[in-house]
Amino acid sequence: MYLDLHSHSVSSDDSRATVEQYLKWITVLRKRGHTVDGIVLTEHRKFDYDLDYSTLAQQYGVMVLKGSELDTRYGHFLVYGVTGPLTNDIDFGDVRMDSRELIKAARQHGAIAIPAHPGRFGIGLTEYIQQGEVFEDVHIVERLNGGSRQGENERAWELCDSHGLLGIGGSDAHLTSHIATCLTHFPQTIASERDLVDALLSGQFHPIWLEQTKEDAAR
Amino acid sequence: MVMELQYDRSLYGVEHKAGPFEISRDQIKGFSKGLGETGQIHLDESAAQAEGYRDVVAPPTFCTVLVNKVKLPDINLQFGRTSMHAGQRVQYREPIVAGDSLTASSHLKDVYAKTGRSGTMVFVVWETTFRNQDGQIVADVQESFARRE
Repeated sequence: MYLDLHSHSVSSDDSRATVEQYLKWITVLRKRGHTVDGIVLTEHRKFDYDLDYSTLAQQYGVMVLKGSELDTRYGHFLVYGVTGPLTNDIDFGDVRMDSRELIKAARQHGAIAIPAHPGRFGIGLTEYIQQGEVFEDVHIVERLNGGSRQGENERAWELCDSHGLLGIGGSDAHLTSHIATCLTHFPQTIASERDLVDALLSGQFHPIWLEQTKEDAAR
Repeated sequence: MVMELQYDRSLYGVEHKAGPFEISRDQIKGFSKGLGETGQIHLDESAAQAEGYRDVVAPPTFCTVLVNKVKLPDINLQFGRTSMHAGQRVQYREPIVAGDSLTASSHLKDVYAKTGRSGTMVFVVWETTFRNQDGQIVADVQESFARRE
């Protein structure tokens, strides 16, 4: 399955794209020969318990899962498998939280927290590692990010290689036409946030550009 | 180390009123021309009346002009030195027509921090509701102001 693991809808303060616009755009991408099976909405500093996209997902034939993107003192972290106990434990609006505590709490509550755009200048995990910070519990990072500037994905790539980290891909879309520019390929079927966490823990995945899904389909 | 924002929280729940704003044909036509609007219901009263409106109709973002006339209090935010306007969202609900008399009511909606390439910023969000002379809500305008470290 090809999933975009990082996207923002109008529920985030800085996005103007609705979920339906994303799903319509994915139908366009499919007509162009790309493969996109689903997206994960990772809204900023929140988790939308009350929003249900199942009807839209069924209508367009695109899986829609929910996660979060949290600001921490060591950069942004994508959180998958968010549960009530986790949001009780962690203040999702606290931009100064220690991401190491977030990672521990996430695992304790069946979720997983992964550094987003670690190569981002000024705010990516790479910056903090270079300052001497140690993140022993980070095993996966967002290796491909669709919102990266020149050099930032390359820094993420180097980080993965130098620290033996696995990588995921996500578009970081805030605009309709940016959805699915980067994806993560999983060999197994994923149907829920729980499945996604299990798939990430399995280590069986890799990041991929949208264009590469055409090449995969041609093989 | 939780980031505790310091500002005047007593402002939550307080409505700040402004108006009435008497909406004239000239105002609507001038705003429409400024936008490059070509829809005749915004520029010509006869065309508007032919479409069933009482007079020329304001474009959906018209209230962004009026929102600046609402005097908002200082929330006394203890963060950063540099402030900037960070955007507006308009929810258009009912047509605003020349001859309408609008009132505005603003309240503090949210104050939150976020981090990005340029560091930490705090956003102050105000929401203003505009009503016409019949008490109908014609538009909601959400405005954000950012403060940088």
